[in-house]
Amino acid sequence: MASKTAKQKTVVISICTGTGGIAAGGLKVVEAFEAAFVESKVTAEIGPRTHKVGCRGFCAKDVLVDVAVDGNTETYQFVTPDKVEKIVQEHILAGKPVKKWLVKKDYHDFHSKQQKLVLANCGTIDPESIEEYIATGGYRSAEKALKMEPDEIIDIIKMSGLRGRGGGGFPTGIKWESCRRAGGNIRYVLCNADEGDPGAFMDRSIVEGNPHSVIEGMIIGAYAIGATEGYVYIRAEYPLAVDRLRLALDQARDKNILGKHVFKTDVDFDIKVVLGAGAFVCGESTALMTSIEDKAGEPRPKYVHTTDRGLWGKPSNLNNVETWANVPLIIDRGADWYAGIGSEKSKGTKIFSLVGKINNTGLVEVPMGIPLRDMIYKIGGGIPRKKDFKAVQTGGPSGGCIPASHLDMPIDYEHLSEAGSMMGSGGMIVLDEDTCMVDISKYFLDFCKDEGCGQCTPCREGVAQMVRLLTEITEGNGTLEHITLLEELSHMIQDASLCALGTSAPNPVISTLRYFREEYEAHIIDKRCPAGVCKALTTFTIDETKCTGCTICARNCPVGAITGEKKSPHFIDQEKCITCRVCYEQCKFGAVQKG
Amino acid sequence: MATMLNLTINGKDIEAPEGITILEAAKREGIFIPTLCHHEALEPEGTCRLCIVEISGAIRHSIRISCIQQVKEGLVVETDTERIKKNRRLILELLLGRSPYSKELLDLASKCGVMTSRFLTGENDDCVRCGRCVRVCRDKIGVHALCWVNRGYERKITTDFERLSEYCIGCGSCAQVCPTGAIKIEDRGNERKIYTWGQVLARFKLEKCKECGRPYAPKKYLDRINERAYKTKGLELVDYVCPECVKKAERPTPIKMPFGGGDMPFAI
Repeated sequence: MASKTAKQKTVVISICTGTGGIAAGGLKVVEAFEAAFVESKVTAEIGPRTHKVGCRGFCAKDVLVDVAVDGNTETYQFVTPDKVEKIVQEHILAGKPVKKWLVKKDYHDFHSKQQKLVLANCGTIDPESIEEYIATGGYRSAEKALKMEPDEIIDIIKMSGLRGRGGGGFPTGIKWESCRRAGGNIRYVLCNADEGDPGAFMDRSIVEGNPHSVIEGMIIGAYAIGATEGYVYIRAEYPLAVDRLRLALDQARDKNILGKHVFKTDVDFDIKVVLGAGAFVCGESTALMTSIEDKAGEPRPKYVHTTDRGLWGKPSNLNNVETWANVPLIIDRGADWYAGIGSEKSKGTKIFSLVGKINNTGLVEVPMGIPLRDMIYKIGGGIPRKKDFKAVQTGGPSGGCIPASHLDMPIDYEHLSEAGSMMGSGGMIVLDEDTCMVDISKYFLDFCKDEGCGQCTPCREGVAQMVRLLTEITEGNGTLEHITLLEELSHMIQDASLCALGTSAPNPVISTLRYFREEYEAHIIDKRCPAGVCKALTTFTIDETKCTGCTICARNCPVGAITGEKKSPHFIDQEKCITCRVCYEQCKFGAVQKG
Repeated sequence: MATMLNLTINGKDIEAPEGITILEAAKREGIFIPTLCHHEALEPEGTCRLCIVEISGAIRHSIRISCIQQVKEGLVVETDTERIKKNRRLILELLLGRSPYSKELLDLASKCGVMTSRFLTGENDDCVRCGRCVRVCRDKIGVHALCWVNRGYERKITTDFERLSEYCIGCGSCAQVCPTGAIKIEDRGNERKIYTWGQVLARFKLEKCKECGRPYAPKKYLDRINERAYKTKGLELVDYVCPECVKKAERPTPIKMPFGGGDMPFAI
């Protein structure tokens, strides 16, 4: 190998251009690097080149930039265009990384407990390049699968123990098998990318960061099931994901990976993209299918499985983005390898979006069965401002809240549903001591009230009444009968609703009543909101012994309700106070008391 | 001859032909299951959820709606368990919360043991969102004059853009199938009006009967009948005569041609 001169190095700059990265200015950082290369006349054997990659997970530290010089990679956090010049001069030209901007210990803690399988290439390859995907072993599994018997593939998926990642957790292999066994010649494979849960961005990140993995999974599935047509139903609110997916499909067609005679075999398969029009309920399988059929996206009673009669009355197999992205891995490395990861009944890894009151917000992939505590404190880095952990809300609006007493619970399908929540698609919203559980239930119920289709009486009328009852409780007009009514309605809605959105809509109330009943009772009996969130039930006062008279509260009060001399205790005028919490948040001495 | 299946409803062993629903099987045995959205001429949609039953045996123990679930060999059905009754009463209470003065709904509620509702909303809309009118207009008449708008609690039935319907032919099937009389049809003078609480859906001038001179049907409707009669049976309406005069004259009447076939009711 030719010896390298000081200036001839391999320089690759990988910059996060997932949604989080772009929002933090990722594209501007790319431009800044390119401009800096021209200006400082950096030359190198390979590169220097900027490399746009998908979501790297640790969105709280965006823009994250990997600078690889001769294979030695250093990661920078919070990179902005004005930091680029210094990085180029010192790190790339002088060979001394800018230590103060490098990632710290929390970045390594964030990754230490994770096991990135589905996300392995997400954040390392350019999602807009099929060559890079193929270079990392992409489409190898599809090629291999097309040489196997369909039943053989289904057996592998069954043995791997893969379960649906969309929330239900139905065994994927069994679903494929029943679709394959269904009559008729026309079958469809569908991909659900209508990720509507507040605070969830797993599917979005996969499609944005590695769209080809989903396409590959669908090719394998289509061949195993006997489908020649596939659909990806994706939210129109994910423009970047839609663009990258469409680009990926075009690239795959150019390479004869989609279309007629896939991989020069007799198999024909192509994928169409259908955009969702912003209805949460279209994430439900039958509603998704009616929406693809150009009808109003409303669920239908599912007494005949969609694997027998789905899209246009034909057998259809619907899986979630993450499920499809798992398939190539299983074909590549085998069912035994996959079944070796995870817990007894939940195999493989699961991606979560860790959000809410947590230090390390981001996209996390962990093996199934990891304790909740590791998720919150090791990966998540604990709660900001040293507050207490109160609960974690999993499974989106139809999930439940898991309290601190369950922190040592393993995260898998069984344990989550035992605890009264569900896996859902993998949203994980962390709540701290300042969150009112009645208020949070009201938020999720209100979401379901607006987003339900309104066909069936229990969900349409029942959820609306539950929102009314919860509102009355938060406004201080609740009685103990409200709790009884909430419970009665919850059970009826679970029993009698038409679709899964309805049957799971009362889950936030059921789980908070199970773990935080005393908080409901405090609202009703003591007329007090323990978290200090419900405005009608909260007063803020200043503890004279703790107040130092720093005046920060008075200066920040928007209505001028706080008075007091400098260096002497302040006072809140309750008549003027609008309980906006600003003083409580601002006080550095804990002198502002809520009650 | 359809295969006969053996099943149990409320402890009683019965036989029912394959392909019928639990609701139909129960009706044959004289077992009452309340429904609102079900109409025998229409495809079941299963949205009012009043016809829920508990099933076990051939299918794992669960709650299903009897207007869609078909009978199965060995199925055990319970239509009136405590759990079912409790759920049903709550659903009725919820419906009464928005339609507290609907006579039909009050009758059905009292039949199920509901006297008052704990969920009064202050609204007074007789529509229970069962969607029978939308289905009859779309599936049987083939007109699509009525549609759903909005989602969730705001869902309601109206015409396109909430204006007087361009497509309505004034047949009145919607009013005929409405279980609570929320859609009304009214002929006054030579005008027909189809309306709900708060919205006139369509208005028509009535054509006069060639024999008695009484205004009796909108032109659009007669044209439609003519078209359908010609297409299906090669018949043609020559003279425009009202049903009463037709009856008096005791002559064969092409006007009795039903639209969708079967026993579609007409309001003429």
